Amino acid sequence: MRLRNKSLGIAALALATSLIGLNASAAETCATGPVTVGFISKLDTDPYFEVSKQGAEEAQAEIGGKVLQQSPGQQTAEAQIAFINSFVSQKVDVIAISSNDLNALAPALKRAAHQGIKVVTYDSDVVAPARGVFFNQAKSDSVAEMLLQSMGDLTDHEGEFAVLQGTPTNANQNSWVDFMKAQLKDNPKFSKMKLVQVVYGQGSEQIAQQQILALTQNYPNLKGISVPDGIGMPAAARALEQAGLLGKIKLTGLAPASLLKKYIQGGAVQDVWWNVKDLGYLTYYGAQAYAQCKITGKTGETFKAGRLGDYTIGEAGEVVLGPAQIVTSANLDVFKF
Amino acid sequence: MIERFGTWEGFLGLVAIGFVAYSVAVVPEFATDFNISQAIAGMSERGLIVLPMVLLIIAREIDLSVASTLALASVVFGVAVQAGLPIGAAVAAAVATGAVAGAFNGVLVTVLGLPSLVVTLGTMAMFRGIGYVILGPRSVNVFPDSFTDFGIDNVGSAPIPWTFVPFLVLLPLFVIVLGHTALGRRIYVIGGNPEAARYSGVRVDRIRFGLFVVSGIVAAIAGIVYAARLANSRADNALGMELDIIIIALLGGVSVFGGRGKLIGVFFAMIIIAVLRNVLGLYQISGDAQGTSTGLLLIAALLLNSTVQRIYAKYRIVPKRIQSAGPRSGGQAVTSNEAPNTRM
Repeated sequence: MRLRNKSLGIAALALATSLIGLNASAAETCATGPVTVGFISKLDTDPYFEVSKQGAEEAQAEIGGKVLQQSPGQQTAEAQIAFINSFVSQKVDVIAISSNDLNALAPALKRAAHQGIKVVTYDSDVVAPARGVFFNQAKSDSVAEMLLQSMGDLTDHEGEFAVLQGTPTNANQNSWVDFMKAQLKDNPKFSKMKLVQVVYGQGSEQIAQQQILALTQNYPNLKGISVPDGIGMPAAARALEQAGLLGKIKLTGLAPASLLKKYIQGGAVQDVWWNVKDLGYLTYYGAQAYAQCKITGKTGETFKAGRLGDYTIGEAGEVVLGPAQIVTSANLDVFKF
Repeated sequence: MIERFGTWEGFLGLVAIGFVAYSVAVVPEFATDFNISQAIAGMSERGLIVLPMVLLIIAREIDLSVASTLALASVVFGVAVQAGLPIGAAVAAAVATGAVAGAFNGVLVTVLGLPSLVVTLGTMAMFRGIGYVILGPRSVNVFPDSFTDFGIDNVGSAPIPWTFVPFLVLLPLFVIVLGHTALGRRIYVIGGNPEAARYSGVRVDRIRFGLFVVSGIVAAIAGIVYAARLANSRADNALGMELDIIIIALLGGVSVFGGRGKLIGVFFAMIIIAVLRNVLGLYQISGDAQGTSTGLLLIAALLLNSTVQRIYAKYRIVPKRIQSAGPRSGGQAVTSNEAPNTRM
């Protein structure tokens, strides 16, 4: 290192350390009107969160405040932490996050709360102490049962099936699959169905397609594949179609019904779904109520969510949008998202 | 004046300072304690790992397995803590894991003579795979308070997070070794011309092996830092981080062909990338768009680097150049005399 570079380095360091601004910590306060809500999604290529954002914007048009949304390019906790910090710096009032990791976001979210920012989760939760309220699209056990019910409908309730989920760390997908396993063991309705393997698409359409083709080769008697992953499911449908196996192997899972329209119409594919737009709508209303201290996250508290009506906070600060539904060619028209 | 800033490192320094000054002046909320400290915290592991990576690339090697070693070490650390070992012992276990991983790479490269690009491409998958074997998709996330405090707190009232301190400790060490010792000179010589180095008595393989071990150890330290920062040990920690690190090294002016590069340039590159990411985030530019910007920055830098050098070469008086390079940085003097434009 030459002298001139040394002096440059010292200058840079001096500049960096002179950037000590004022401490931005605010006291715990209740907003008196609508505030800014910063949404952090799981992944920027996932259309799910664009649809939920439309719902948030609809709610914002009704009651005011501001919607921001940022999305990481990688489906990891670390990528989301950068956006949590960024929203703290931007001084949003509420952070609403769909978490990529149950535990790893907790320190960053607690730090955000320490800076006076309210934290809620939607779609995918973090550990309870790290957030105030969780806006859940549907109870995990009911989603899991719907997924099995749908698979049963397609395969006459017997034979081998596999599961393709997104990443191994995805908290809500893990809980759905766990509930499915428990149901397979305990519920006589599903006693003849056998889950042979759980594989992971890693948030990539390409990997999902490869995994689907590998499954069809490894299990010649495979009757169906359940894909509780919004990116994996359309990819799975295309892979089966291209391999000429659609219909021989039935497909169900969780994904925007609009992306699967033509497959569902064919009858070999079903989908378990809810109104995604409503989830964003509910989350925005709930986040505003939380910022204004109308709710604090305690069981039994209620708030009004515009056209969706009244909601009550359940166990552990959880608010459930409503029961999920099985999408078939018969009711496809209801799911306009 | 031209002479003064007529190096890539000097140019990067100006860009870094200008960029920071611009952000302070123009970007709202940039110059707050919280924002600065979090921007720095995000570089904690990358800063650490890039140090040995620079030495490796200068010696014409590369270690693609660093992020996987980080993940494996964090898993070993987490499992050790879960088993009730004291933090000190868990740290030792993690660091030992990193050393073994580095030695494994080193043996394959030096004893079996395989190219490090291929070897570490393989171990990149393998080390993370071992992490999955040990912990599966689960994670360890219960740590003693003292450890999580290290991951969250700043040093006193300064906006410097504790997680950045290991980098600040190791940086001068690496700067001294690379710039001011015989070992550093040999690393440059190996990268400049491995055959010549061998014939002049440099123990090329021993140095290469050592560099891989150091790389593994530092990646393991980064694994502990990462586990503290995210309060999480998991096999998928730091997925894809190796590319970030290589981008920082190359942007910092380390030649992909070996033999050239300085840590001061890499330090400025770190500042530029950290500030760029932070500012894009503050302007609510998300995800892949951020990755694209870093990629574009690297390509622009590669083009600029060769152009800048060509322009400055015109104005530079050759004898003075050699004089200013000094007898110590032998490898550099040789390469810059040869043909400044052929390397990057």
